[in-house]
Amino acid sequence: MKPSTPWRILWNAFFWTYERATWQYDVMVIAILAFVWLTPPDWLGDPMATGRGPIGWLIDTFLH
Amino acid sequence: MTFTGLIGKICLYPLQLIIRACVAMGIHPNVLTFIGVLINAAAAIALARGRFIAAGVIMLVANIFDFIDGKVAHESNAVSAFGGFWDSVIDRFSDLALFLGLIYLYSSLQRTEYVLITALAMMFTIMTSYTRARAESLIKKCKVGFMERPERIVLFMIGAFTNRMAAVMWVILVLSVFTVADRIIYTYRELRDTRPEEAIA
Repeated sequence: MKPSTPWRILWNAFFWTYERATWQYDVMVIAILAFVWLTPPDWLGDPMATGRGPIGWLIDTFLH
Repeated sequence: MTFTGLIGKICLYPLQLIIRACVAMGIHPNVLTFIGVLINAAAAIALARGRFIAAGVIMLVANIFDFIDGKVAHESNAVSAFGGFWDSVIDRFSDLALFLGLIYLYSSLQRTEYVLITALAMMFTIMTSYTRARAESLIKKCKVGFMERPERIVLFMIGAFTNRMAAVMWVILVLSVFTVADRIIYTYRELRDTRPEEAIA
C-alpha cells in the first residue's frame, strides 16, 4: 500500500536525504525558523526570553 | 536559485577574500582550526554568562575560522589526512564547549529541565558525528539526516542573536535524534544488502 502524502512528507522531513540548497532544504529551513521565531517563549518555558512572541501577539490582538 | 543557495553565495564572497589573505600570509590550516576552537571557548563563556549577543558575534568569528580552514588547505596545497582528522576532533570540542556554556547558564538559573534538554542535545550531537564516522568505516557513505554541524552552528547563532536559545535547543535535540536514527537505519539497510566480505571492515 502506498503511504499517504502527509505521512510521506513527514517521513522525508525526518529521514532526510536531500542536499543543501535544494527547494526541500529551503522549506525545512523556513519551517525551523518559523518554529524558532514564532513560538511564544512562554510556551517553551524559555529561561532567558520572555513574552509571548508574534503568535502570542496575534492571539492577543485578534482572539481576545 | 534557492533561497539558501543565494545566502551561501552572498556569504562566500567575503570569505573568499579572507581565504586568499590566509593563503598569501602562509597561515597553516591546522592553526586556523585551533584558533577556531579557542574563539568558540570564548563564545561558550559568553553563553554561560547569558550574554547572547556577544556570544553570537564571537561564534560568527569562530565559525569563519572553522569554515575557511579546509578551503585554505585546498588552495595552499596543504591537504593532509591528519588535517582532516584534526579538524573533526577540534570541531567536536567546539560543539561541546557551546553546549557546556548553555548547561552552565541553565544550571545557574536552576532550570533543571533545560539542563537536561541541552545535555540530551549535546549527546545526540556527538552521536550524529559518531554514527557517520563509524558507519563510514563499514560502508562508503552515510550522509543522511538533516542536523549536521553547519545547520547546528547557524541555529546556535540565530538563537543567540534573537534570544531564542530554548527553541533552538528543542530543534537541535529533535532533529539530531532523527539524524542519528536515520544513520543507524541507513547503515543497517546498506549492510543487510552487502555480503560480509564486501563490507569495508
